[in-house]
Amino acid sequence: MWRRSASFILDQQQQQKEERKKTTTTTTTTTAMATTTETSSYQNPNNNNNNIHHPNNISAYYQTRAAHHGVVTSDWLAQAQAAVGHDVYDDDADHVVRSSADHHHHPFSVIDEFNRWRKQPDLAEAVAAILALASVIRSSQATTMMELEIELKKASDSLKSWDTTSISLTAGCDLFMRYVTRTSALEYEDFSAAKSRLIERGEKFGEISRKARRTIAMLSQDFIFDGCTILVHGFSRVVLEVLKTAAANKKLFRVLCTEGRPDRTGLRLSNELAKLDVPVKLLIDSAVAYTMDEVDMVFVGADGVVESGGIINMMGTYQIALVAHSMNKPVYVAAESYKFARLYPLDQKDLAPALRPIDFGVPIPSGVEVETSARDYTPPQYLTLLFTDLGVLTPSVVSDELIRLYL
Amino acid sequence: MPDTQALVNEFVLKLKRRKVEGSQATAKQTAELLRSVISQQRVPPHTNQAGVLIDAIKAVGEQLIAANPVELAVGNVVRRVLHIIREEDLSLATTAIGGLGLSAESDNEDNVEQDDHPGLSAAVVAAASRFTLRAPSLHTLLEGIPDAAAAHHTSSSGGDSEGKSKSADKSLRIRKLKHDVIEAVNQLLQEIDTCHELIAEQAVEHIHQNEVILTLGRSRTVMEFLCAAKEKKRSFRVFVAEGAPRYQGHILAKELVARGLQTTVITDSAVFAMISRVNMVIVGAHAIMANGGVIAPVGLNMVALAAQRHAVPFVVVAGSHKLCPLYPHNPEVLLNDLRSPAELLDFGEFSDCMDFGSGNGAPLLHVVNPAFDYVPPKLVSLFITDTGGHNPSYMYRLIADYYSADDFVVAQKSSAE
Repeated sequence: MWRRSASFILDQQQQQKEERKKTTTTTTTTTAMATTTETSSYQNPNNNNNNIHHPNNISAYYQTRAAHHGVVTSDWLAQAQAAVGHDVYDDDADHVVRSSADHHHHPFSVIDEFNRWRKQPDLAEAVAAILALASVIRSSQATTMMELEIELKKASDSLKSWDTTSISLTAGCDLFMRYVTRTSALEYEDFSAAKSRLIERGEKFGEISRKARRTIAMLSQDFIFDGCTILVHGFSRVVLEVLKTAAANKKLFRVLCTEGRPDRTGLRLSNELAKLDVPVKLLIDSAVAYTMDEVDMVFVGADGVVESGGIINMMGTYQIALVAHSMNKPVYVAAESYKFARLYPLDQKDLAPALRPIDFGVPIPSGVEVETSARDYTPPQYLTLLFTDLGVLTPSVVSDELIRLYL
Repeated sequence: MPDTQALVNEFVLKLKRRKVEGSQATAKQTAELLRSVISQQRVPPHTNQAGVLIDAIKAVGEQLIAANPVELAVGNVVRRVLHIIREEDLSLATTAIGGLGLSAESDNEDNVEQDDHPGLSAAVVAAASRFTLRAPSLHTLLEGIPDAAAAHHTSSSGGDSEGKSKSADKSLRIRKLKHDVIEAVNQLLQEIDTCHELIAEQAVEHIHQNEVILTLGRSRTVMEFLCAAKEKKRSFRVFVAEGAPRYQGHILAKELVARGLQTTVITDSAVFAMISRVNMVIVGAHAIMANGGVIAPVGLNMVALAAQRHAVPFVVVAGSHKLCPLYPHNPEVLLNDLRSPAELLDFGEFSDCMDFGSGNGAPLLHVVNPAFDYVPPKLVSLFITDTGGHNPSYMYRLIADYYSADDFVVAQKSSAE
């Protein structure tokens, strides 16, 4: 229906105009807007807005997730490795942020640094981003705060544009940048002290994130009562921590795990839970509505919490929340506060699409399109409470927190 | 303190026997009791005075909460008093640091903070320590909890270090803290007393000419609210559902008529039938939970559902002492009080059905008489407290203002550990 709406037709016309311009390859720039979009597309080879059906346009964020949490088959691993390696190689050419000194043998790159951190399965994406930015400060030759800020800004921009699909990466960069530019304590210190303080804070952040998971697990304990059945979707480290703590507290509960196609992250979670002797039942993703009547609460993690209080999470979360809402079951979200992102999606398509390959087992006829998006947006009215390290929050608190920090 | 312990025991007994009716009376008596505990508490010198007071209040608070866990106002007042102590301690420490930062370099406090971050001025320490009173936020996430904790440590031991340097000031300082705290508790008492008036002041903004208002049972806050609108020359009708089984609606109707309001009494079961001609539902509450849910007199969930069906605004009026920082984990089961069956059935008429001697030893007739309902936040349109109107999802903000995060688990701590 909405394809017939005025705004869509306008959008489409614009797009077609741009494409025509690209094919003619005349460098005469007529509209300012068209130029900016074009140049930006040159800057990010990874930009997924154009050419959605291009096979190489897969989301690096979901690649990493799958590599960390999926049930890893050998060919999938090879594929993922190839994809990640390819990306890094590609971007090295364009995006190396050279520290101002040229006498280094290895030019320093935030993205390399970030990828190094990101490969650690225990480290959250936002933390990896902040650690990478902290190392930018360390290798920086800047002598004034302003220089350092500019350098950091450049680094964080290149990080953000390197993987536009990762919300927590953007949120982590924003949070750290905000800290650098705004923190009141810095005003009282001289530059080198400020610098070392920033590095120290950045490095402590890994600890904070681990502590955040503990806090969330503690907060959620009161909500898990004996004899309850919990439905979980996908693999989330926070949710696992919550369930682990509940099991350690000798609570009696049962977990229903969705399979989490296509990277089958649910299998991994059920595996972990079975190790803890928690009774687990695996469901295929389409059996959620069928089993919802025996469920007492739905527990999900989040890739990002947006300003409306809604969450962006693995594909399928939205439909689970809808089913739970219609059956009056509470939907709880466990998410660390550094996943709060300054986004306000209005609908599902209002996000940079994060794509990933889907293996159907059989060859797909060439004429058939495949929906390869990896995530969806769950609006706040379908969520009951958010468990964060800031406390147990209603969805509307999220915007409040973000406004307090960024405005 | 034998005399305060006697007072505490007496009040605990009263709470256990449910002799104290209504959250306002309970809140008031709790605050008075805590005030006398504070004034009797001896604070030994060279210690963390605020800590001593907090421990004393917590010890008493645990007993009180355990005596009647359903009456959340007790816990709320205990937490409010704890918050007051923390705040007063902090404001004293801030002024002390401010004065010392200029004069004494070798003072203990300055050393403590210099260990952490050299060159931080007193203002920064004060700002950081203020964070500890507030709920954690994104801003404090990077700013660093260790800072704040260190600063808090400094401020709470402030009296100690100052005591070493200037022993003349010490006793004055102790008395000052206690005096300030008692003053603030008095303010809290006054606030509890006057919350009706503050709420009633807002009545004209909500009740309009010729409207029909529905209420259930009797709540003093609601009564004052309606009468305040009447005094401002608004003419409107009130439907009063009688509020079985205690039928306090009858009393409310009588009171309203005495004030010259057009009143109609209906049965509880007629609420749905009448709701379509009602413009607004105004009710009182037993407690407001942190998620915006309401623990309310029994029957209100039904009224709320009826109101939602006909899109009638459901307004809850409540003083801030009913604001509870806890979440209802399982509201249908927890936090309910089962009252005497005598309220439902007359003893004489039904006594043979409830005879334990008949049949297999257990009576065939059972009576369940719960006191409270849980109204979920999505059914509530507006909360009117003494500070104004609030959306259910924003109750957390009031809670962050009134309580400090460390005190949320006053009672649970004792049961868990």
